[in-house]
Amino acid sequence: MTSQTRTRTRTKSRTRRRVPWLWAGLSAVVALALLVALVAGGGAGPAEDTGLAQTRPVTVGGAALPPYQPGADPAVGTPGPELRGASFDGTPVAIARDGRAKLLVFLAHWCPHCRREVPVVVGHLRERPLPANVDLVAIATGTDRGRPNYPPSRWLDREGWSAPVLADSDDGAAATAYGLTSFPYFVALDANGTVVARAGGGLAPAELDRLVARAAG
Amino acid sequence: MTVSTVSLFLALLALVAQAGTVALVAVRGRARRALAAAVGPHALGLAFAVAAVATLGSLYFSGVAHFPPCRLCWYQRIAMYPLVPVLGLAAWRRDRGIRPYAALLAGPGAVVSAYHVLVERFPTLESGACDPTNPCSLIWVSRFGYLTIPAMALTAFLLILALLRAEGDQS
Repeated sequence: MTSQTRTRTRTKSRTRRRVPWLWAGLSAVVALALLVALVAGGGAGPAEDTGLAQTRPVTVGGAALPPYQPGADPAVGTPGPELRGASFDGTPVAIARDGRAKLLVFLAHWCPHCRREVPVVVGHLRERPLPANVDLVAIATGTDRGRPNYPPSRWLDREGWSAPVLADSDDGAAATAYGLTSFPYFVALDANGTVVARAGGGLAPAELDRLVARAAG
Repeated sequence: MTVSTVSLFLALLALVAQAGTVALVAVRGRARRALAAAVGPHALGLAFAVAAVATLGSLYFSGVAHFPPCRLCWYQRIAMYPLVPVLGLAAWRRDRGIRPYAALLAGPGAVVSAYHVLVERFPTLESGACDPTNPCSLIWVSRFGYLTIPAMALTAFLLILALLRAEGDQS
């Protein structure tokens, strides 16, 4: 046997010896990861229960608005549907023709854009409150216990949301009535309950001011 | 086993995979030759194992945890799932010619995963609003502050690419 052949044989046998060690080492790492996960991973259980109903029945009066699309909006100038329901704690909340202009904000607890928008709205309204004749109402919709950031009541509390919140029904009756096609979603109603503007997606403070000004007349 | 346990397990594996990828890519000189000698002969088998774990994890999240896959998730599935039979068969037959074909799936998969991670961090990259059904920016799982499902997929794609390279290095 030449020295070259001996070296090759040694290298091959070394490689062969490494086979079980490599796989055994990896198996040990996987087993350790599983053990750690079993010990430490059970923390986040089912979604938190606040004792509050996160969805509530909503009664819709009037014709539904067409689904919102950016651009010329056929809903502008038509009456907004009346909504009667309740907040998370059961306090009645109504979107009715009561002689006051309204800015409706449809929010989903799991939507990243909504989670960014809520602090923007809260911060902006703290600096620049709404005109006296305009009410802000949030509609918590798209609620799903299996999705992140549940429950919406706790999320809005945490963000310091102080305006009334209408908890939408399980089937999203309020969202459907107002033609929601994306989150977050804004609808401005004038004092007669007529739709004056709709907008989808996160709004900058200046855009928010424009919607409020249109609602206020 | 809860979803939380499984997601932590997969995240821990992702951490190990990231360490392995860095070692395979960053090591130079004699250490690199030693690593290539140790890992190279098993690289296809290891890459198959990575693809299989990633596929099973993906199926677990959609089928058991009921996290519906979004559009970008589907693109990543298209790249990852075929790697399981392709790399498995290649490892079985010791077919080194599979490397470019597997890289052709893993490379674009890694790019989509990286973009998905960015969309999660900066939702406005995709759109200014959430799709009411299943937006790609929705973060279903987050471990250690950065390991989301697409981040774990990115880890798997990169490790597969690093292993394919290590398989080539041994020659």
